[in-house]
Amino acid sequence: MVHYLLYIDPGSGSYLVQIIAAAVLGITFFFRNIKLFIKSLFTRSPKKPNDNPPA
Amino acid sequence: MPVNFIQHPSSYRDPSGFIFTKEEVIYRQVNKSFKEDFDLFINSGCYDKLVKKKLLLPHEHINGNLTGDNAWYMTLKPEKLAYISYPYEWCFDMLKDAALLTLSILKEALASGLVLKDATPYNIQWHKGKLIFIDTLSFEKYEETKPWVAYRQFCENFLSPLLLAHYSKMPVQELLLAYSEGIPLPLTSSLLPWRSKFSLHVYLHIHLNAKYSLKDNSAPGKQQSFSKQKMQHLITSLEVLITKLKLPVNKTAWSHYYDEASQRSGYLEEKQHIIQRWLQEIKAPTVADLGANTGEFAYLAATGDRQVIAADFDPACINRLYNEIKLKGEKNIIPLIIDLSKPSPDIGMNNEERESFTGRTQADLVLALAVIHHLAIGKNIPLEKSAAFFSRLCRQLIIEFVPKEDEKVKLMLTNKKDIYTSYTEENFITAFSRYFTIEKKEKIISSRRTLYLLKINEG
Repeated sequence: MVHYLLYIDPGSGSYLVQIIAAAVLGITFFFRNIKLFIKSLFTRSPKKPNDNPPA
Repeated sequence: MPVNFIQHPSSYRDPSGFIFTKEEVIYRQVNKSFKEDFDLFINSGCYDKLVKKKLLLPHEHINGNLTGDNAWYMTLKPEKLAYISYPYEWCFDMLKDAALLTLSILKEALASGLVLKDATPYNIQWHKGKLIFIDTLSFEKYEETKPWVAYRQFCENFLSPLLLAHYSKMPVQELLLAYSEGIPLPLTSSLLPWRSKFSLHVYLHIHLNAKYSLKDNSAPGKQQSFSKQKMQHLITSLEVLITKLKLPVNKTAWSHYYDEASQRSGYLEEKQHIIQRWLQEIKAPTVADLGANTGEFAYLAATGDRQVIAADFDPACINRLYNEIKLKGEKNIIPLIIDLSKPSPDIGMNNEERESFTGRTQADLVLALAVIHHLAIGKNIPLEKSAAFFSRLCRQLIIEFVPKEDEKVKLMLTNKKDIYTSYTEENFITAFSRYFTIEKKEKIISSRRTLYLLKINEG
C-alpha cells in the first residue's frame, strides 16, 4: 500500500524531478543540436524557385 | 449592498478569485490578493497576445463590485460559452490538442514574464470550433529560479491518460472520470508497459516523476535552482512526446457504420431527406444528436447558428468526427463521448463541481436515430425509462423506431434469448406519449423503420 505525503505542497515532490529531468534533457538536446548541425553540413537545403533566375 | 449572486460550485480552490452568476450572467471576480499578478498579466500584453491568437477566452471589464465582497479587486465578464464539457467526455485527439494548447500558452506566458500556476484540462473548453483556455487567473509572475509549479498536475492530467491510451490501445475516458483530479503517477507508472521506460521522455516525466512524487523534497535549507532554459527544455520534451502520441487505429463496430449503412438501398438518403425537411419546419437553435456515430446527421443539423452536440459512446467514432471537424473548420458541432446508458454523473465536492450530462444538456431538439433498439435490446432499458430520459433533455425529439423485424435487431438477437416481448411499436408510442405528443410520423420506405417527430407535453 502506497502512502502519500498528504501534508506537503503537491508541487514540491516534483521539483527535484524537474531539476534532474532538465539536466538530462539539456545534455540530450545539446548533442541533438550538434547532430543536426553536422547533418545540415552534408545535406543541401532545397532550392527555392527564384534561386536561379532564368538567364 | 448588492449581493444576489451564486458562486460557481467548482470555483473555490484558487484564492485569486472566483466565477459567479448574477441575473443569469456569468462573471469572474479577481480578488485583491491577486492584484499584482493580474495587473502584470494585462500590462505585459500577455492577455492581448493570447486573445489575438485565439488561445484565450476574451473578457470585458465591468465597473463596480457586483458581489459586495471585501476581497474584490475587479469584475470581468468572460465571453459566453455555448456548452461546458469535461475531459472524460473528450476523445484522444481532443485531449492531446488540449495538452499542446496548455504548453503553447505556457510558452507565450514565459515570453511575457509569466507562468501558468495550474495545468488542468478543466481550464480548457470547446468554443466556436476550437479548444480555448478559459481561466484568466491561471497566470502569475514567473520566477526563473523556480521549477514549474504545475508540472506534476500537467503530467497527471494530460500525460498520464494520453500515454495509457497510446500504450494500451484502449480508451481511458472512464479512468479520467474516476480520477478527475488526474491519474496518480505511481498508478500510471505501474500500468504502463515495461518497454515505455526505454523512451527517455516517458521515463523522466512518468516513471522517475512517480518515484520522486512520493518523496518529501521540502526539507529546509535545500535550495535548488532552476532556469528559463531548463524550463524550455522541459516544455520541448513534453511537446515532442505528446506530438508523437497516437490513438491506435482500431476499427470499432461503429466507425464504419455509415459506409455500410449507405449500401442499404437508399435508406440513408431517404432518412436524410425526411430529417432535413423536418429541420427546416421546426425552430431549434440547439440540437443534441445522441448516438451521433461519425456525425452525418449532426452536420445536417449544424446549419446557420445552430449549436449541435454530437454524442456517441464509441471513442473511435468521436475521434474521427473531431478530426474531421478540425479539418473542415466546422464551428457549430461539439463532439463528445457519452454513453446514453450511463451518462456523465455529478461529481466532485458535494457532487456539484462537475455537473451531470443530463443537468447540463437542455436542447431544443434531440436526434435519437437508430438508438432506441440499442437501449432496449442491447442494454435491457425499458422503453418507459428511455422516454423519461429523453424528456429531461429536450423540448422536441426526432426518434427512429427500429422494429424487431429489422435485420439489425435480428442480428442483435442471434445469440440472445428474446425476452423483449414488450418491444413493439405500439408500446413505444404508449411509453413516449406519457411525455411527448406525436407531431409527425413518416415511414422510411426502404426499411421497416419509422421516424417520429415528438413535442414535449407542457405542464
